[in-house]
Amino acid sequence: MSTATLATAAGPGVGIGEIAASGDPGLVISALGLGSCIGVVMADHLARVAGMAHVMLPQSRAGATGPPGKFADTAVPALVESLLRLGADRTRLVATIAGGAQMFSAGSGGGLFNIGERNEAAVRAALSAARLRVRAADVGGGSGRTMRVRVDTGTVTVRVVGGRPVEL
Amino acid sequence: MTPPALGPAQLDALREVGNIGAGTAATALSQMTGAPVQMAVPTVKLLAVEEVAREVGAGDQVVAAMFLGVNGDAPGHMVFVMREEAARDVVDMLMGGMDGGGDEGAPFSEMELSALQEVGNILTSSYLGALAQITGLRLEPTPPAVGVDLAGALMGAALAEVAMLSDTVLLIEAAFGDDDTPPAGGFLYIPTAKALTVVLDRLGVGG
Repeated sequence: MSTATLATAAGPGVGIGEIAASGDPGLVISALGLGSCIGVVMADHLARVAGMAHVMLPQSRAGATGPPGKFADTAVPALVESLLRLGADRTRLVATIAGGAQMFSAGSGGGLFNIGERNEAAVRAALSAARLRVRAADVGGGSGRTMRVRVDTGTVTVRVVGGRPVEL
Repeated sequence: MTPPALGPAQLDALREVGNIGAGTAATALSQMTGAPVQMAVPTVKLLAVEEVAREVGAGDQVVAAMFLGVNGDAPGHMVFVMREEAARDVVDMLMGGMDGGGDEGAPFSEMELSALQEVGNILTSSYLGALAQITGLRLEPTPPAVGVDLAGALMGAALAEVAMLSDTVLLIEAAFGDDDTPPAGGFLYIPTAKALTVVLDRLGVGG
């Protein structure tokens, strides 16, 4: 899924490294299972547009390839751009973030790079560089999250396994 | 580093790697649980790292995943995934109901998690041991990390570590089960591009 493609409510959701943005008020954009990845939602509730990026890594390193949604530093400007194209007003855009968990316990295979925390820091830095306010955040901890945003209202909910959806 | 070109001979050889590795691990699992374990024919794919989670699928299903690094002559990563029910069954069997068995949806206790970690340890060691035997390569697993959560969340976290090394990865995936659908779990072996060249050379199908 490239920038500004329409997500469908029944679709598989925004996969790792993908960005989805929409101005269709009937849609809910979701990311199923954010672990150390961060879901970045931006919405303009007056223009009734919203979008989400599913960020995997903090920065694009030299020579790295991948879609813009893969890295925090490229995902944020790409998501802003696709929302502006859909009619969002830059000054009304607000961001909500979720994810950045530490998914594996013990052993030496996981947590080696502390990617969840680094992702959060990089996403916050990219949002700040884009002069966007973080309206709410549900980050860290040790649980995977499913994140959804309603395009018409910009309402964001987050749910963990065995829990209820919580509005941010 | 760019991965080597993979023709039919290379893909066949890598499928055989998955077959031997996962087959040996499935035998170990079967011995552990006393129940037969069926292996599917492994799939071998060269993918962008962010596509691996989608390829493995079932992002919103709860699974137990064991994730480890492979050091030595052909470095990479391995992930051993089991559906939650299958993981519970194995843990119950190993612990003889000592820990009350835990209900569906209840979190795994520390003791259950370390039992799972040990299962992951044994199975991935048998996978890599079989691979070392046919290639003569030195392959050393790091102790596995374990997590029980949404498949997408665990895979994403594992892949982020893989992605620090490479944008394109080779995925050797072998599903297993007991004739039920969907499969009870699978073994994912993800060698680095450099390791792939080494393995193919050893198998006599290098470029």
